[in-house]
Amino acid sequence: MAGDLRFREVEHTADRAFTVRGHNLAELFAVAAHALCAIQGQSTATQQTVHREVEVSGVDRETLLVNWLNEILYLQDVHRESYSRFEVIAISDTFLRASLHGDSDAASRRTIKAVTFHGLQLEPLPDGWEATIVVDV
Amino acid sequence: MAKQPPSRTIAKSDFKRISEQVWELSRDFRDDMRAPARLYADEALLEAALGDNSVEQLVNTSTLPGIVKYAIAMPDIHQGYGFPIGGVVATRLPEGIISPGGVGYDINCGVRLLASEATAEEISPFLGELASALYHNCPSGVGVHGEIKLQEAELEKVLVDGARWARQRGLARNEDLEHTEEFGMMPGADPEHVSHKARERGRNQVGTLGAGNHFIEVDTVAAIYHETAAERLGLFPGQTVVQIHCGSRGFGHQVCEDYVARFQKTVRDYGIELPDRELVCAPFESDEGQEYFRAMACAANFAFANRQVLAHHIRRSFEQVLAGKVRAFDLHQVYDIAHNMAKVEEHTVGGTHMQMCVHRKGATRAFGPGSPGLPDDLRDVGQPVLIPGSMGTASYVLIGTRGSMEQTFGSTCHGAGRVWSRTRAKKTVRGQELRQELENRGIAVRAGSMPGLAEEAPQAYKDVSRVVDVVERAGIGKKVARLEPIAVVKG
Repeated sequence: MAGDLRFREVEHTADRAFTVRGHNLAELFAVAAHALCAIQGQSTATQQTVHREVEVSGVDRETLLVNWLNEILYLQDVHRESYSRFEVIAISDTFLRASLHGDSDAASRRTIKAVTFHGLQLEPLPDGWEATIVVDV
Repeated sequence: MAKQPPSRTIAKSDFKRISEQVWELSRDFRDDMRAPARLYADEALLEAALGDNSVEQLVNTSTLPGIVKYAIAMPDIHQGYGFPIGGVVATRLPEGIISPGGVGYDINCGVRLLASEATAEEISPFLGELASALYHNCPSGVGVHGEIKLQEAELEKVLVDGARWARQRGLARNEDLEHTEEFGMMPGADPEHVSHKARERGRNQVGTLGAGNHFIEVDTVAAIYHETAAERLGLFPGQTVVQIHCGSRGFGHQVCEDYVARFQKTVRDYGIELPDRELVCAPFESDEGQEYFRAMACAANFAFANRQVLAHHIRRSFEQVLAGKVRAFDLHQVYDIAHNMAKVEEHTVGGTHMQMCVHRKGATRAFGPGSPGLPDDLRDVGQPVLIPGSMGTASYVLIGTRGSMEQTFGSTCHGAGRVWSRTRAKKTVRGQELRQELENRGIAVRAGSMPGLAEEAPQAYKDVSRVVDVVERAGIGKKVARLEPIAVVKG
């Protein structure tokens, strides 16, 4: 994992995939959100004029991760916004509360259709967590 | 609950060659298979398929409860998520399942072909202007909004009536509906099972193209292989035709997301074990299965309406640019097909007529002559099948055959099929250079994103002619015409 972003894109024939790491689940979820926006080519140098609070649930950790990322795609699509900072305020295996910070950005690239469960595993590492996520483009 | 499949590398030697174009992995290849897996390919395409995880994904689909005969993959197979792209799985009803992942996020992604009486030579002086008008009039990009903003009541009409809604708005002709799969309206749609989020995402997106591999392409008919069928479809050499490739936009993505997430619990409730969580499913006749099917039908209708509105915008563009300059520029609809769908169909297996849920994920319905569901004027010809090639290369018009009815539940391939990842394509090809190369070949290009253009470079795809030759030799499609591009419009 290069730099402090702690994600890297991995090869996938038709769609796109990326691996993310975090020292804990909250960090992993925030890094995954950052990766989702970064690989769409959205700007990370924003003024953060938009703030949104979200609550997401899922039947397990993997479902929670997919639902969280899909919630971001939904918000960026409907409100025509892009986000550059993510704060996970509270997290369990089945529930998450977070805030998103970004900007109204009609021209921003929104190139990901959906986040999938394909081959998804959220695995503990000696120093944190790792997940590889496949997205439909 | 999902379980991981046993890890096993799949080699060419694991397959039994059933015929020149059909390769089979027997049911005992992996313990969790409920049926054999069959792949349509020549030797080179089989080897290409073994280059990524697509064959393992094909094997995974053979574990779905209620599967009939075998899991099938077309020669344009490539790695997807859950199902491989190019996959066909039929499950016997009433006991079989329906899987949202077997349809995918872009529900009723499909292709529409419009044809003019004007030749490519006649429109060539105005080609650049025409490409610009198409780019301007047909909004593109993943989250882009169109001219039409639907209030709740009218959105529900779109979801129930599909392209027929567009006729009420003066955006469709009767012949368009007659020459659309399901006549432009998928039965069984019930908006009650569609989430608020899906409605919000769809409200502004009817009449928009999207991004990724979606496109509008102006082509010329470069070759005719089946003169009788071509004449019946209204195709002739040198003709100007237009392809539209797109689907149900954010609306369909959200419907799929909603049900894939919900079915993570449903599979536990029904005790269904699967090798990949993207394959989650529910018994077709269960409340959950029916609710997905009815929501999916809404998304299918959204896509039919979307391609219909785009067809209207394309006709408008032709009129804006060509009126008074070119004779007979009007566009009639050849056909509109879906290639991501689950449908209830009747097929005969081993002499037994049965009802089944046919999942086609990157595969096209290809009903043969005399099949139900074909328009009256094409009933004796067979269903038109539209196979777009990669950008800048040929596309094909086929017709369905009796062979496709007997072998593949009335299905055939859907395109060229990727071989390069998007990251490799972007590293290898520069969008600006590709655009120049296409322009040098006389192809007008209008694209919103140069990296997006590079991702869709022709080098990233298999040879569509080879794919089509396999399905023709296997008898699951018959070539009618080859199209060559003269203008490409992309998000």
